[in-house]
Amino acid sequence: MPYPGKLIVIEGADQVGRSLHARLLSARLEAHGIATQTIGLARSKLMGELLKSHTNDIHHLNWRTRALLYATDLHDQIKNDVQPLLNAGFVIISDRYDLTPIIREKVRGGDPEWIKDLYSEIPIPDSVLILHCGPRRLLNRIMFGEKLETLNHFESGMDLALSTSITSSFLKYQKLLRQEFEIVGEESGAVLIPTRGTVENVHDKIWKQIQPIIGKLIQPINNG
Amino acid sequence: MSKEGILIAVEGMDGSGKSTQAKLLYHWLRAKGLPVYHTEWNSSKIVKQATEIGKNERRLLPRTFHLIHAADFADRWAKQIEPVLKIGGIVICDRYKYTAMARDGSRGVPLEMIEKTYSFAREPDLTIYFDVPVDTSYDRIAKGRGALKHYEAGMDMNWSSDPFESYRIFQSKVSEIYAQLVKKGRIMRLDATGTVPEVQKRTRIMFENYIDLSNIFVIDHADRLAENLNQSDIDWLSYKEGVE
Repeated sequence: MPYPGKLIVIEGADQVGRSLHARLLSARLEAHGIATQTIGLARSKLMGELLKSHTNDIHHLNWRTRALLYATDLHDQIKNDVQPLLNAGFVIISDRYDLTPIIREKVRGGDPEWIKDLYSEIPIPDSVLILHCGPRRLLNRIMFGEKLETLNHFESGMDLALSTSITSSFLKYQKLLRQEFEIVGEESGAVLIPTRGTVENVHDKIWKQIQPIIGKLIQPINNG
Repeated sequence: MSKEGILIAVEGMDGSGKSTQAKLLYHWLRAKGLPVYHTEWNSSKIVKQATEIGKNERRLLPRTFHLIHAADFADRWAKQIEPVLKIGGIVICDRYKYTAMARDGSRGVPLEMIEKTYSFAREPDLTIYFDVPVDTSYDRIAKGRGALKHYEAGMDMNWSSDPFESYRIFQSKVSEIYAQLVKKGRIMRLDATGTVPEVQKRTRIMFENYIDLSNIFVIDHADRLAENLNQSDIDWLSYKEGVE
């Protein structure tokens, strides 16, 4: 069903810059008179707190249970917030959507088709942008950002027994995710955006990609 | 285990200024854009809780003291030190196994046992021993303080009923073991008397004499900028597309 608003999805690995670019995009759109709302995984009123405060327990659940919890979380946001806002003409920026929940269970042996069916009725995004970057570059950013300690067992794929060293495991796990994002990206018509360049450079690519969608909505910052 | 990355340790008495110097070393290497990590003795979240209980209830004996600190180190070795070395990064350890030798050794734990417990921790590429006279470090730590902590002062050893006297005895023993390690060439002595900038200058000279950074990759400029920009905003009014 068509709606006056737009849905832009930013996908990609942890630390790739998703949240930064979602924030910059939102700020720029607002500066141009477009109301935005950012949603994402583990941000629903219903499930957000549970998912964030019990990360460890959730990482130990069976993939099916975990997939259902995340599907509940996203649907709670969609049904309560996203759909009314889309009808009102908001631009929704989704910091991850259905791809991450599917891919990260798929690499753990979960059935991607079964998970896809859980998301069969969510609004179809107007644009899906996958931020892309080599695993080693991700790790360098984590190190330089002094965030090594935030690397957790699950997000480094330690449960897949790829390596006993968390950094080596991270590199192998991210390589798997990256391949999956490439495959899914091709299937779904998502756009892969390499994040090798500067932040401004990456932002420009995102901005350019969404012009066909938001071009008409934009109002200038300075009149005349 | 093949030798990967660069492992630097700093050692010295309480009050020798080693932590200040280690942090400066860290910020220097970070400013060069190198992948560097800094870790401190007895800082692993999980083990620290138990250590606190042991200290508060004065339950810790030389042997359990030895083991619990080794547990802390093993946790940091697995989570912080080895992972960074594995990817060819630099790790700066504020205190390393030589602290265990000096402290546990002062408490009578045999050195061979300490060596065996820590056998998984390879010899660093450089261990800087920040050497100051016992009196200097004593003054920096003890002067003007009403009380010393029980274990800090070595009161568990019954060397003296006066905490300040006990601390002095403890530190002399520690200093003696460090001196032996210097003699054996396990740790490199650096004159740590003088001002912070003076000592930092000597530290950098020693570092450059012993450490070859040419094989350490520099983190890409764009990635460093991206991290710095993480929390900031862009001025959209003046923003020009396609300008790097």
